[in-house]
Amino acid sequence: MTVLARLLTAAVIAVLAASPVHAQDAPAVDDDAIAVDREKGLAEWDGIVAVLSHPRCANCHVEDAYPRWSGPHYGATRLHAFNITRGEDGSGFGNAALRCASCHFSSNSSKLHGPPGAPLWHLAPAEMAWWQKSSAEICAQIKDPERNGARTLEDIAAHVRDDPLVGWGWNPGPGREPAPGSAEDTFRAIERWAAAGAPCPAG
Amino acid sequence: MRLTVNGNPIDIDADPDMPLLWALRDLAGITGPKFGCGIAACGACTVLVDGTPVRSCALPVGMVEGDVVTIEGLAGADGLSVVQQAWLDEQVPQCGYCQAGQIVSAHALLEEIPDPTDDDIDNAMAGNLCRCGTYPRIRAAIKRAAAEKARTGA
Repeated sequence: MTVLARLLTAAVIAVLAASPVHAQDAPAVDDDAIAVDREKGLAEWDGIVAVLSHPRCANCHVEDAYPRWSGPHYGATRLHAFNITRGEDGSGFGNAALRCASCHFSSNSSKLHGPPGAPLWHLAPAEMAWWQKSSAEICAQIKDPERNGARTLEDIAAHVRDDPLVGWGWNPGPGREPAPGSAEDTFRAIERWAAAGAPCPAG
Repeated sequence: MRLTVNGNPIDIDADPDMPLLWALRDLAGITGPKFGCGIAACGACTVLVDGTPVRSCALPVGMVEGDVVTIEGLAGADGLSVVQQAWLDEQVPQCGYCQAGQIVSAHALLEEIPDPTDDDIDNAMAGNLCRCGTYPRIRAAIKRAAAEKARTGA
């Protein structure tokens, strides 16, 4: 519930409390039910953010210009080799003569450390950064139309289920740990989280 | 399957998962593109597919959609391309193993950015490794080619 909605609800309750006749007709505000929904919603969010913050997703949801590499063979997470960046044009598709698609084709290389692949390989826009962001920060971003591509939560759920590049996270090729669960699991978790009021954890 | 390579149709009998580089070198006899790493990590195998540089060692031949141009296809009826000539003029190669890929990437850069800055060159060429360390001469050759293309309208 937004702050404005809470204020309006409080105002309505105050007005109705001062007018006992009308108060009998007012919808009951069940604080216990809201608390249960929030608890359920936060549990769903924990599963969702485990996916979004997983390296298969977060390594290309970065605030700066550099995609990341990580995995059991890399030690600490590192910058993508070859000075790869989102591109001087800000597109996320790389630079002139060295686009993401120069190496990342529509399917994974079968070779260990070969380039992973999915259609339209590119970096997410910088405002959609997840890498090294907290659960609360990612949650706020996901719900903010200014930073989520003007998507509704329903749009986001469908995007996770249907976009081939997102789906790559669960089929990342040899030597890479997939994101937890599946695209379908995550789609359903987002739906349940939205139904529970899409609560975010405290920052 | 049929590929178009350097303007010529080529029929090959290949597993679709065979890397394009293998098809070019072993089946079509086009040996300009070189094998370096096999995982798109060095750039020696770079060719153009519809004008975009790709690492042919990692691209399955069954996924090729478009005309392929290799280093052999850059030269025209009048001789070497402007970029190839600049490579000679600047005496870029030492061992020369990477230069087919370097020149193809440089060609693509100049098609997109006719007058590249140092940063443009670094951004475009960083995926083409040269173990001899000829990078200063690579940069000089690209600038020479850019100037020559501007002068001649090539």
